Amino acid sequence: MQTRRLERRAIEIIVLACLALIAVYAIRAATEPTTVIALELGVIAPVALVSLFRPRLGAWILGALPLIAGCVNRLTGVPAAAEMMAVSTAGTASLALAIGATSNRVASMSLVLSGFVVLFATSINDDPRGIAVAIVWISVCMWHLIANHWERLSICMAESIEPSRGVRPVSLIVALSVCLISGAIARNRWTESRRLASGFMPTSGGTKWSDPSARDGVGTGDAAIAAREHAESFGAVDSDVFLESTESTLFDMISESLGEPKLKNKFERRQGFDSDKFIPSHQQLTQTEKGGQSFSTSRAAIKKNLSLRNSSSTSVIQWIGPTGIRLAMHRFDRFDGVTWTSSEQSTSDPPQQRQIGDETWFFLPSLLERWTDETAPQLGTVKVLRLESTRIPSPMATTGVHIKDIDRVDFFAWDQHGNLFMPGRERVPSLTTIDLASVRISEDELVRGLSSVAPADSTQIDPELARYAKHVTDGIRHPYDQLQAILRHLRTDFVFDRDHSVDSENPVQAFLRTRRGGDHLFATTAAQFARQLGFESRLVTGFYVRPESWDLAAGHAEIESSDVHVWAEIKLNDDLWFEVEPTPGYAPPVYTPSLWLLAKRWAAEAWPAIVAMTIASIVLFLTRSVWADWILRLLWFFSALFGPRTRLQFAMWILATRARLAGKSRPVHDPQRDWLTQLAAPHLELSQLVRRVCDSADRLCWHRAGQAELATADVSDLLRQMNAQFFKRQANKVSA
Amino acid sequence: MNKLLDASPPSAAIQPLAQLRESLGKALQGKSSQIEMVIACLLSHGHLLLDDLPGTGKTTLAKALARSIGGKLARVQCTPDLLPSDITGFRLFNQSTREFEFHPGPVFADVMLADELNRTTPRTQSALLEAMAERQVTIDAVPHPLAETFFVIATQNPIDSHGAYPLPEAQLDRFTMRLQIGYPDRQAQLDILESATQSDNATPDIEPVMSREVLSKLQGQVRTIFVHQRVREYLVDLVEASRCDPQVELGVSPRGMLLWQRIAQAWALLQGRDFVTPSDVTRVANPVLSVRLLTSDGDTQAAIERVMSSVPAPEYRA
Repeated sequence: MQTRRLERRAIEIIVLACLALIAVYAIRAATEPTTVIALELGVIAPVALVSLFRPRLGAWILGALPLIAGCVNRLTGVPAAAEMMAVSTAGTASLALAIGATSNRVASMSLVLSGFVVLFATSINDDPRGIAVAIVWISVCMWHLIANHWERLSICMAESIEPSRGVRPVSLIVALSVCLISGAIARNRWTESRRLASGFMPTSGGTKWSDPSARDGVGTGDAAIAAREHAESFGAVDSDVFLESTESTLFDMISESLGEPKLKNKFERRQGFDSDKFIPSHQQLTQTEKGGQSFSTSRAAIKKNLSLRNSSSTSVIQWIGPTGIRLAMHRFDRFDGVTWTSSEQSTSDPPQQRQIGDETWFFLPSLLERWTDETAPQLGTVKVLRLESTRIPSPMATTGVHIKDIDRVDFFAWDQHGNLFMPGRERVPSLTTIDLASVRISEDELVRGLSSVAPADSTQIDPELARYAKHVTDGIRHPYDQLQAILRHLRTDFVFDRDHSVDSENPVQAFLRTRRGGDHLFATTAAQFARQLGFESRLVTGFYVRPESWDLAAGHAEIESSDVHVWAEIKLNDDLWFEVEPTPGYAPPVYTPSLWLLAKRWAAEAWPAIVAMTIASIVLFLTRSVWADWILRLLWFFSALFGPRTRLQFAMWILATRARLAGKSRPVHDPQRDWLTQLAAPHLELSQLVRRVCDSADRLCWHRAGQAELATADVSDLLRQMNAQFFKRQANKVSA
Repeated sequence: MNKLLDASPPSAAIQPLAQLRESLGKALQGKSSQIEMVIACLLSHGHLLLDDLPGTGKTTLAKALARSIGGKLARVQCTPDLLPSDITGFRLFNQSTREFEFHPGPVFADVMLADELNRTTPRTQSALLEAMAERQVTIDAVPHPLAETFFVIATQNPIDSHGAYPLPEAQLDRFTMRLQIGYPDRQAQLDILESATQSDNATPDIEPVMSREVLSKLQGQVRTIFVHQRVREYLVDLVEASRCDPQVELGVSPRGMLLWQRIAQAWALLQGRDFVTPSDVTRVANPVLSVRLLTSDGDTQAAIERVMSSVPAPEYRA
């Protein structure tokens, strides 16, 4: 008994130590070369196995292994962080203690050490999956401690008191629930805990992110936020400071990222039009001139080494909010085959002011009723650093805006395209922090809203594009699914390459031919395709928030001029447009589908399998007695491998199972002989067979040991005669 | 298989037992299962309590039994004025020899039928029951051993409870089993009527089929019948269950448990086996338990069923 207890203790502590090692090496695997980790583990595992048998020697070597490995690494030029070496050594030391433990005290030391290592490793792990190891460790540890507790109690307890079996699982469940609930509560303070965690392991620099607690290194975060150059973060006066600037404009950024537009004279452009299309085109041009903006899809190759690339900090704006999204600046709704222009823009109704808590927010009136929805708005904060524009970069469907103490409605306006801007200014003042709220659009809304589309505007139809679109969407009926098919086609079959210069009269056609180009071509093509399907679409330029741009230490994303991006938006209804991302490499917008939609989709995709499974299940259920009997017969056939008693037991089990399947189980308090005799009573031959079998079985089981053999032939015969149908008849007789 | 049967001890017992069964069957038609139980009781060296209505063949059974084993039958009609000495015997002063002579009572027979035992006084009852337990009587400090095959069949009339002295539980426990013979079924009654018209002699000819020596040898053989460990555990489980049942005031005593095992052994021998199976235990449970379960609600049969169904029977297993 004593040795068994020790065994259980030792095994559990070794498992805990192994979990600690897993936690450490999971972190190291993320940062260090895989071969080094594999090699190190490849040495640790056999040494641990050996030390199980030779604990004295093996445990010492095991404990020192990470140190040795670290030294070897450094000697061979592989970088090895001292902190990691220390933590790994703690892990292996815990394993060594666990294996070599001869007393409970040493085992407890191993437990404490492995607990520390797991806690430490989990706290510095960036991967949320690392929590799982900690949870498993806590579970095993609880299991171990409760078992220890009961063992200690049982020594001094009266014999009659027995721990109920439920103690361990229940305590485990309680511990896990406490763990998970406290974890859920702590999750709301995630960013703070991140900061805390990063303080544990100060960086020596070299990575992109920086931290105030770092000993040295190159940080950008606070330098930008602290406004070295402009001390006031926002001034409500148009002072000279804000009017004149040497910062680059969005136009510069786009030109740098996407190349300069190729300019053609108007006459050359008009030549391509028929006379009946000339007048609309002319009107459009007039409107465009009023709007004063255009975006040409025909662009020259990018000129390298412009001033932006040379500036010390390339951040244009900073963003706190979800990453992998797009912040729109300009929207263009007219396309003449080469150039996107936006129609005349008039300011929509003045924003409505609302007090939310202590903050004054301004909302787009047309979308105000959506705020009554249960879905929470998506919030984000943008900080303008160096952006020469009155436009505020804002996510799709931004309908609310708030700047610290501003309570004047005339500071903000939305134009009819939904662009948010600050009217009457040269630009948004630098270092202004703007809170933005945008509505969430669910995928259900899109599916519903796009279910019926008007036939495409005849002026927009390009027969070649339409044919292409038809080819891609062949066999797909729902307009939304057609749109998705086109986007999928663009995202998978085309290559994103900004340096690829399209030199053609018709950039879209050329793009479709070469299947290679910049994101403006992707967006234009997607928008054009959408028009062929009958949707209204427009081109959007702005910034893309790369997920990698998130600065963990600073708590915001740095958006640089190279993050300029072009995408498309599709009209959902009069007030709402939703964006689509046709360019591969950019995260598509997330429209969360409801469970109902997911289920419908799944059912639509997998209905043959569902129907087949259902039918198969029904058939299997109805014929359960038949196939169960087949299995039982097969098992009886194979039972010949066993001794007579096992075979007898098995035969009885088969009969009992048949009875159970037929719905009339054997009463456990009846001896098996009585039960069988009673079943066979109406049939003379069967009764005799039962008597023979039971006589044989009785001799086998109740006689002095080793006195008889089983009448196997009779038993087989009995199994044949008392088959599933027999029991079914019996059950029916009883119920009748 | 033959070799096995030849080697097994019960083969010798099969013949005389079959004869005994046959001769009792002649006396008590259509009651084969009760006859089996009576023989089991005889083989287990026990005593039998018959709980029955008048005219169901109790005396016939006792007579047939006594004659079959070639023994002497004594019949005592128990009445309230019956004295202990009327059962055990007494010493009488002989005027001619001027000595006390011992006049043995009915207990010195081989089979004694005590009719309507519950009508006599507790004093007389206990005298009989003492004789049953000790298998000897002591008169004037002189012990007199009883016949080796001494077998008591006591009857109780369940109808007349007026003026009856019900047997105390401690006394009941001395009986090995309680049986109801009951009325014969229709066919058996027809046979009885038919046999009564055909033969001059209404009581069938019963010849002795075994000597008392053979009987006592068989009784000795019963003790050697093998009881498997798991069957014994089953017995203990059942006995414990009888003590745990909330409706049962008095469960099975260790003596009762021993008797139960003995009866099961006797039953196994009757089946021609030299080992006890769980079926043997359950088969004899009812008569054995009905004499020794005292229930608060008076429904002994329900209590027996509860006890039997509360313990899973041992199964065939490796």
